[in-house]
Amino acid sequence: MSSSPRRRIAPEAVIAAVVVILLVVLVPLVVYSKIGESLFPPDAVTKQAQDVRSLYNIVFAIAVAIFVAVEGLIVWSVIRYRRKPGDDELPAQTHGNTLIEIIWTAIPTVIVLFLFGLSFNTLATVDAVGNNPDIRIHAVAQQFQWTFEYLDQNGNKVATQTIPTAAEGGGMAVPVGKNVLVTLDSPDVIHAFYVPRFLFKRDVIPGQTNRFQFTIDPSEATDGHPEILSGQCAELCGTGHRTMLFNVIAMSQNDYDAWLQALITKSNATPPPAPSVGAGATLNVTAQNIAFDTKSLTVAAGQPFAIDFVNKDPAGVDHNIQIRDASGNVIADPPLTDGGQSATYTYQALPPGTYTFICKVHPIAAMTGTLTVH
Amino acid sequence: MATHALAPATTAYRTGLYEWLTTTDHKKIGIMYVINSFLFFLIGGFFALGVRAELAQPGLQIFSDEHVYNEFFSIHATVMIFLFIIPMLAGLGNYAVPLMIGAPDMAFPRVNALSFWMLPLGGLLLLSGFLTQGGAAAAGWTSYPPLSEVGPTKSPGPGQDLWIVALTLIGTSSILGGINFLVTIFKMRAPGMTLFRMPIMVWTILVTSVLVVMATPVLTSALVMLFIDRNYGGHFFDPSFGGNAVLYQNVFWFYSHPAVYVMVLPAMGIVSEVLPVFTRKPLFGYKAFIFATAGIGALGFSVWAHHMFTTGAVFLPFFSLMTFLIAVPTGVKMFNWVATMWRGKISFSTPMLFAVGFLAMFLIGGINGAFSAAVPVDFALHDTYFVVAHLHYVLFGGSVFGVFAGIYYWFPKMTGRLLDETLGKVHFVIMIIGFNLTFFPMHMLGLQGMPRRIADYASNAGWNDWNLVASIGGFIIAASILPFIWNVFISLRNGKIAGDDPWEGNTLEWATSSPPPPYNFDRLPEIRSERPLFDVRHGRLDHGDATA
Amino acid sequence: MTAEGALQPIDATGAPIVVQEGHVARGISNPILGMLLFITSEVMFFSGLFAAYFSTRAHNADSDVWTKPQQLLNPLSLILVATILLITSSFTCQFAVWAIRRGDRRGFIRNIAFTFVLGIVFLLLQGYDYTLLFGEGMTLGSGVFGTTYFTLTGFHGAHVFGGVLMLGVILYRGMSGQFSSKHHDAVEAVSLYWHFVDVVWIILFSVLYLLS
Ligand code: HEA
Ligand code: HEA
Ligand code: CUA
Ligand SMILES: [Cu+2]
Repeated sequence: MSSSPRRRIAPEAVIAAVVVILLVVLVPLVVYSKIGESLFPPDAVTKQAQDVRSLYNIVFAIAVAIFVAVEGLIVWSVIRYRRKPGDDELPAQTHGNTLIEIIWTAIPTVIVLFLFGLSFNTLATVDAVGNNPDIRIHAVAQQFQWTFEYLDQNGNKVATQTIPTAAEGGGMAVPVGKNVLVTLDSPDVIHAFYVPRFLFKRDVIPGQTNRFQFTIDPSEATDGHPEILSGQCAELCGTGHRTMLFNVIAMSQNDYDAWLQALITKSNATPPPAPSVGAGATLNVTAQNIAFDTKSLTVAAGQPFAIDFVNKDPAGVDHNIQIRDASGNVIADPPLTDGGQSATYTYQALPPGTYTFICKVHPIAAMTGTLTVH
Repeated sequence: MATHALAPATTAYRTGLYEWLTTTDHKKIGIMYVINSFLFFLIGGFFALGVRAELAQPGLQIFSDEHVYNEFFSIHATVMIFLFIIPMLAGLGNYAVPLMIGAPDMAFPRVNALSFWMLPLGGLLLLSGFLTQGGAAAAGWTSYPPLSEVGPTKSPGPGQDLWIVALTLIGTSSILGGINFLVTIFKMRAPGMTLFRMPIMVWTILVTSVLVVMATPVLTSALVMLFIDRNYGGHFFDPSFGGNAVLYQNVFWFYSHPAVYVMVLPAMGIVSEVLPVFTRKPLFGYKAFIFATAGIGALGFSVWAHHMFTTGAVFLPFFSLMTFLIAVPTGVKMFNWVATMWRGKISFSTPMLFAVGFLAMFLIGGINGAFSAAVPVDFALHDTYFVVAHLHYVLFGGSVFGVFAGIYYWFPKMTGRLLDETLGKVHFVIMIIGFNLTFFPMHMLGLQGMPRRIADYASNAGWNDWNLVASIGGFIIAASILPFIWNVFISLRNGKIAGDDPWEGNTLEWATSSPPPPYNFDRLPEIRSERPLFDVRHGRLDHGDATA
Repeated sequence: MTAEGALQPIDATGAPIVVQEGHVARGISNPILGMLLFITSEVMFFSGLFAAYFSTRAHNADSDVWTKPQQLLNPLSLILVATILLITSSFTCQFAVWAIRRGDRRGFIRNIAFTFVLGIVFLLLQGYDYTLLFGEGMTLGSGVFGTTYFTLTGFHGAHVFGGVLMLGVILYRGMSGQFSSKHHDAVEAVSLYWHFVDVVWIILFSVLYLLS
């Protein structure tokens, strides 16, 4: 192909060169600086996550290389090949070039096949589920609450953790260095178990039990120094999707043993007998279709009171009636009542004011109301 | 078939409202498509601004009820995809394709009008959800069951049903449009225009139409099943009666992955028309480009489960491999575009700016899409803001930039007047800055673990700064639209007269008047290559056949 | 608007200008190609429903949920008659097409009328069969089997109904003499559609009644 007459080094060539050099210098700079860190996933805490991270690093490096090369070519062309005013000559009419087209088909093919091979390899370790896990946990995700059931080697439930977050004194504790098998079930809609520092998530699908395994790096926790990892539901599951937070707590084996023992004791303890109704009034509240039958309650100030609560939802749908003060602090949090059951909740005396009553499991508008104390 | 003896062009558009509402002229229908889609872009953008305003800071500021937030992003995405980007590209195709192949109109003009009118109807149905009890659809644009099924904490209201009906209507409109395009392209090309002399835009519309005709009905089937589940007691997706929730995802993505190529191929077509004109070179590797387009279309049917890697219900290696492979034909196109600019003589009129913007931004969106092809990496990224970054880089950085390139490019043909260049450049610069401010930080947010579809986040999660940046960016994008709207208004009245061929175009639409008369042409130049007007202007210079 | 534009240089360079004489019909006509494409999209629609059927079936392979209602379907019943009638109607439809191609308008009208009636009878039989199944307690909502069964056959029925309407229009236009051996694209298109509806039924019948 005949090229158009060449000029000596044009100013835009200089600009382009500068841009390309800037790109080449800036990108690694960004990558390894503070901002650059945020282009990587957070520190991996599990063996599996470390593999994902290594894979990510390679994918990222290749991506940056491709980005710089192609974006550089675009910028270069744009700057170098601008049409000068008054230049009416046609550039060479190049229609193609078989060799170069073969090359730029072949190279990306090789790259993606390489990446596929790598990720296929990593998948084998990340997605593997062995037969003899050290710990078995059955996680149940439900609108809008996580429950973690601890199972023994035969799959029998030994204890249930109903409080999902560490802030409330709960969380899913696991010992470091041990193989943990998690099975996932949902009774209602799809949720997803996601812990960012696991670099992993898995959907929780009604009608399909998913499972995955992980081992937390032994260096993450020592006796008395657990590591709290945040987790969150990652699949849109309705109004309370955002509230489905939980924690995984990495503990040393000793801490874990003690923790589990305490949980077992707590689970086995017979629920305290319903305290007798105090002097105050008794109100009636019914829950049905995940909604309270009333939006407002009124009680006298300075007197304890009780609520006769009937849960008319199907079994498996738990509710309770929390009381929160004006700034959202939980003042009373009675135990959950399963669908089809009823209970009498007693509450201590309250100072006058406006409060909120709300279902802890379903903090949605339909299960929220105002409690006026006067 | 009256293709000659035409009235002079000047009177062609001096017509009343009634004429527009009843027209079967593909040009008027195309323009109505563009206007309608643009209005929906504003509406979709309005919802996006609501989302960004809420997320700017931790805490609930805008929405008292998270349900409303869910409605906002669900309707944002549904509007942007089904009422803006797909019909916008179909509309530009509707305008350009018959002109580009030298045809007097589409093959079925009345069906064409019908396809168009279904769109505003569908859009109104969708939005009317806000007036119903329970509000509009709020289960995401993907509307996965069981969440989208009936149930007190699922989707009890009629909003979800309206969503289904609206999408069925819009889908039908697409299918009829796709059939119309295919018959037009196969049967109505001007003498001399063989398949391999068709403009690339026509090729991309051809492949897009095949995807539409083959994939959209599958979406319809998913919608129908969901509707039956919701309204007639069906159990397709209800596990307690033997149904299967993941089935919906398979059927939905079998449509929706090919659909993402429906959303980008015509934009690639526009870019492939604009680049050669403004570089004064032919598209590099014309045939390779066509094969790559067809290859993307074909591969597009075998990657749908990459949206379902974390379900634990799909065969991961196969879908991972196919997803990786789709980068290859897309790469071929990218390199063809760059090679087209290489040693060209580039003039930066606004259409060209947007075309280059497409290249630069779509590249990012394509590459970060390839991250997710690596299954273990996707385990980390799925349903986080990283995916939101990906989808906006391809859909906005790709398709929307392509759309604006097309609008600036064909506006003079549609109206006889040029858009103002200065305002066009202002639009471009503000938009590309705002766009990157909005969506680049989403990569970081996603990597740091911020899930999608949440109305609020903890203030100590470390997501505050990037969210604020993204929100500011979102409003900058909105600001960039204003000079564009202003530009259209003033240019319609006072814009520079375009003449038939303001850009020294290559393709047949530039061989007729601006705007073209009804039935488009009274005579056509001889067609001996994919650039008939170039040939007329310069003779057949150096005309080796396009290499494969 | 000035007339100075691209057409000027065309003349100036003296490049040849072809006056377009309208588009000569090549290959199949537009309506028929349109119908073939439409049928393609319909095939994909039914593929979606069939995929749901097979997936649900695999999901519940040995479960009562599936096998119990499945046993209610007996291929050697009224439904066989309906099947035979529908297949026959495909033949009469094709005879009608051949007749009009020959220019035999009376033969055309007779055969289309047959087809039309057979279509209606099929719908009536299917409706009756539905009432029998309802009587046995099988409905859209009785379980996944009912859901898939009634969705598949229901949408097929809707397509038969659509076909019958088209046949009615064709019949009416035929009786008012609008078709000839040269001009009958609509007839060809409708017959293609009718054959498609018939084929879908044959597959449905085989899958739902025979391969169970
Ligand atoms: C226009 C629309 C569009 C386009 C074109 C694409 C293109 C691609 N997409 Fe994207 N995608 C979406 C729209 C689109 N996508 C949307 C809307 C979603 C989210 C849906 C939702 O959940 O709401 C999504 C989600 C999505 C996912 C699921 C993520 C998740 O939820 O976990 C995945 C996973 O693999 C993916 C992959 C890809 C790939 C590999 C491409 C490829 O086609 C890209 C190929 C292009 C390039 C790679 C760049 C150019 C190539 C080169 C320069 C050659 C060299 C390159 C290499 C060797 C890598 N996309
Ligand atoms: C073509 C497709 C398209 C386009 C163009 C956009 C454009 C934008 N998108 Fe959207 N988006 C999607 C497709 C698209 N999006 C999809 C598919 C999802 C996934 C949804 C899901 O999870 O289900 C999504 C989700 C999504 C989210 C994630 C929500 C969440 O997960 O919680 C966010 C968050 O910031 C966002 C922001 C934006 C912004 C700021 C823009 C801006 O670029 C918009 C700019 C445009 C304007 C601002 C218009 C101009 C308006 C005016 C000038 C004035 C206002 C008008 C009136 C008063 C009528 N989008
Ligand atoms: Cu549970 Cu989101
Ligand atoms: Cu996809």
